[in-house]
Amino acid sequence: MKLFTAYNRVLLITSAIGLLIIGYLFYLTLSNYLNKQLDSYLSEELLEVKDYTAKKESFPAHQLFEDLVIEYRHISSLGKKRHFGDTIFYNAKKRLEESGRYLEEDVVLAGQSYRIKIIASKVAHSEQITSIFMVIILPVLGLLIVLLVLNRYMMKRTWLPFRQLLLNLKSFNLNQEQGFAQVPTTIAEFKELNDAIVDISQRIKSDYREIKLFTENAAHEMMTPIAVINAKLDMMLQSEDLSEVQSQNLIDLYKTTAKLTKLNQSLLLLVKIDNNLLRDREQLNLKTMLLEKQHYFQEFTQQKGIEVNLELQDHTLLMSRYLADILLDNLIGNAIRHNHKGGRIDIRLNEEALWVGNTGHGEALAETEAFKRFYKSPSSEGMGLGLAIVKQIVELHQFGIAYSYRAGLHAFTVFFNNNNSTSLLNENS
Amino acid sequence: MKILVVEDEELLRVNIIDYLTAEGNVCDFASCFDEASEKIALYDYDCILLDLTLPDGDGLKLLQALKQQNKSDGVIIITARSSVDQRIEGLSLGADDYLIKPFHLSELSARIMAVVRRRSFKGNDLVVFNELKIDIQSKTLKVNNETVNLTRKEFDLLLYFIANKSKVVSKSAVVTHIWGDHADMADSFDFIYTHIKNLRKKLIDAGCKDYFHSVYGVGYKFADE
Repeated sequence: MKLFTAYNRVLLITSAIGLLIIGYLFYLTLSNYLNKQLDSYLSEELLEVKDYTAKKESFPAHQLFEDLVIEYRHISSLGKKRHFGDTIFYNAKKRLEESGRYLEEDVVLAGQSYRIKIIASKVAHSEQITSIFMVIILPVLGLLIVLLVLNRYMMKRTWLPFRQLLLNLKSFNLNQEQGFAQVPTTIAEFKELNDAIVDISQRIKSDYREIKLFTENAAHEMMTPIAVINAKLDMMLQSEDLSEVQSQNLIDLYKTTAKLTKLNQSLLLLVKIDNNLLRDREQLNLKTMLLEKQHYFQEFTQQKGIEVNLELQDHTLLMSRYLADILLDNLIGNAIRHNHKGGRIDIRLNEEALWVGNTGHGEALAETEAFKRFYKSPSSEGMGLGLAIVKQIVELHQFGIAYSYRAGLHAFTVFFNNNNSTSLLNENS
Repeated sequence: MKILVVEDEELLRVNIIDYLTAEGNVCDFASCFDEASEKIALYDYDCILLDLTLPDGDGLKLLQALKQQNKSDGVIIITARSSVDQRIEGLSLGADDYLIKPFHLSELSARIMAVVRRRSFKGNDLVVFNELKIDIQSKTLKVNNETVNLTRKEFDLLLYFIANKSKVVSKSAVVTHIWGDHADMADSFDFIYTHIKNLRKKLIDAGCKDYFHSVYGVGYKFADE
């Protein structure tokens, strides 16, 4: 619920209930007062009736009493005392039913007991009540509505800087060069919030920059020692009296050094993608690249007896060639590495997505984990950076990526139009 | 060949010089910017190995100075920085090749040979090793004047081994040479074996001597022994 809605809801409910109670009480008092007036009028009329009968020894026809209905009923004995009440009666003059006020009293007229009922129309009084009521309640209601509208407008205006702040926060990107934009506001609280956010964003930015710089420098600095190790190994290999055990050690050392190099290169690559340092965008024909990759990986697939099925449509993308190369290498490399002998790799390319599916060992990967840095499936010999790099490349180009496991195929899908990704995924599954 | 090694990391420099000297090259070295710029101005080299990050200056400036002096020395940049921009900058300033650390000495040796050959033969380049005649341009191999058909990878391999003749070349180096950085497949070592086996067979079938010698599974040596 929005703050404004929450605030308004309380305000509206309170004023509605208040208005109802006040209106009811007001109406009650007013009609009570008017009823009393009517009652005293009726009493006077009764007295007149009594006087008349006493003088003339006959009942007055009600024509004599304008707007009044007088009923006489013969009763056996005196019972009821004076009694007022509301009733509905037929107004003969107006020829319609009307609400009225009556006075009933048992009297002795000419030695006989009669029950007299005098009914006065309440219509005029009701109209009075309504107009008095309206004159007072309507302006109050109007005032309330004006206040509500004003409140709404003021709230919107006052909270405008807050909404802007929120918008800025949402679009905040650590990698973006420009800092957090100040939002102009005169409200002290928002100003404070603004300053706090600007301050914190600057600190985060500088910390992040330093961490990246550190990673980059550390990785670079490590390259030279690795180069020395590599060169030393190459020199050791030249020695004439190399024993078999030493050779085996050399093999392991070469492999480890290669791994270390690869790790370092991957880290550097991640930093570079993070920093958006690879901006050599060009139009790439993905189909051609995939066919080249198929050739490049031919020996690996043949060795494992992996069947490669390509279903490629022509599709050109604006991408960094270097990164596109790595993206395909990592996806296809993974599909080969985690495959079993005699397995299968399906690669499909259309305008919407690139789909790489492979048979493999084990069960489905945890989708959220798979793209994390240094995540490795238990059987993996890699470093767990391949998919992290893939994800980073995909994000840099504003593509989408998803993992799925169906019918024994581990599949990675790169969606070229990120907005479609969820809908497409649903279609596919 | 006369080679200048501009590298501030002493251990690496010493190794490079040892390896290249053993191949019969004459190596000179410079460990800082000033020393390098002095040697570049004074002498002519067939090839200069240039580290870009020197303690007292940017290696790219040496490259600029070299071009200003109209020197025709071949230049191979060796650097730990692998940025694409820098690579493009280096190559556009006239460097012949760009090698990222860490590299195998055999790879360096092959690159030097390629650079020097490109510079000195200007198109008509023929590599001869005993009965083997390799035409780099047309990518053909002749053994005793008979053409031998090689795949591109086999051709590359042969050239690579000839550039490192009489040296033990590690399988690791061959893998990197053939498949580049991205191939870190565990099985890639086996393919090297297959490729070399095929190449060896083709050469022997063509009446060539068996120059390939395996070294305990760690590497191969191409030598006339």
